[in-house]
Amino acid sequence: MTTAGQTAVTAAVCLAMASSAVVLADDSTRVTRITHMEDSSSERMPSVTAVPQFPEIARRDRIEGEATVCYTIDAQGRIRRPAVQRSSHKMFAKPALKAIKKSSYEPLRSNQGATVTRTCRTFRFLLKPVAIEEIE
Amino acid sequence: MNRPAAFALALVTTVLLIPVAWSEENKVVIGPRNLDLADGAQELLAGNAREGVELTLRGLQSAHGKREKEAALSNLCAGYIMIDRLDSALMYCNMLLMSNDRHWRGYNNRALIYVMRKEYEKAEKDLAMGQEINPNARTLKVVKGMFLDATHPVSPNIIIDDRKRKNAEVSVKEES
Repeated sequence: MTTAGQTAVTAAVCLAMASSAVVLADDSTRVTRITHMEDSSSERMPSVTAVPQFPEIARRDRIEGEATVCYTIDAQGRIRRPAVQRSSHKMFAKPALKAIKKSSYEPLRSNQGATVTRTCRTFRFLLKPVAIEEIE
Repeated sequence: MNRPAAFALALVTTVLLIPVAWSEENKVVIGPRNLDLADGAQELLAGNAREGVELTLRGLQSAHGKREKEAALSNLCAGYIMIDRLDSALMYCNMLLMSNDRHWRGYNNRALIYVMRKEYEKAEKDLAMGQEINPNARTLKVVKGMFLDATHPVSPNIIIDDRKRKNAEVSVKEES
């Protein structure tokens, strides 16, 4: 799902990602700043990290919030049984779930043993003030 | 959403429709009393602003009673915004709000005019008045969003938090 708009968006974002690819879960031309926070002890390496679209009504009404989605990662790195565990506002649940469904992890190597991992990812939807000169 | 689309969205549901049936002095009449006004509203809702304004101007001349007159003024304000004649739109919005200072659609449309003219203090006052009268009006939220985008723009910032101390992570041995 690579479009010209997405390319522009991902080029404009500030990333703190290591090696995983970042894709937008929805087509969007609005520039979104993305930060990925992870600790070094994560058992599984992300392969594709999809970024949810900021809900337009939330942006319009200046609503911030967060949503946590829990899921299982199988040995091949696929997401299984994703479910919204918590959402500060219902409008954040759907984009968070959609992003998780489009994400994946690196497959386990043979010496890592056969495990599945249950984990959770929290998306924080924040709005940063922009100086007016930047958009005019 | 691009700007013209947002303007249209902010306006389109603020057009007043004339009821198609009513009862007056024991007579039941089917159909709108002021056809020009009703047709004008339909044209405006369909996006045919010039035709809508023309019909509504005719409807205003034959308007009966305060309610019909206010509907005509409100729709003229909306229609003139749609054809980007902001001075005329403002004149009709002002007439409407002089006639009825509790008309939230009048405040909505006048706030939109002020946003388009970058008269933000006036826009803010009208938005506050409109939201006081009808706090749940969607079009007021749309115009408020346009006002905020002009005066306090924001950029979405999404943080993806995979840290374990925040999100409990449990490894389960796969049963093979």
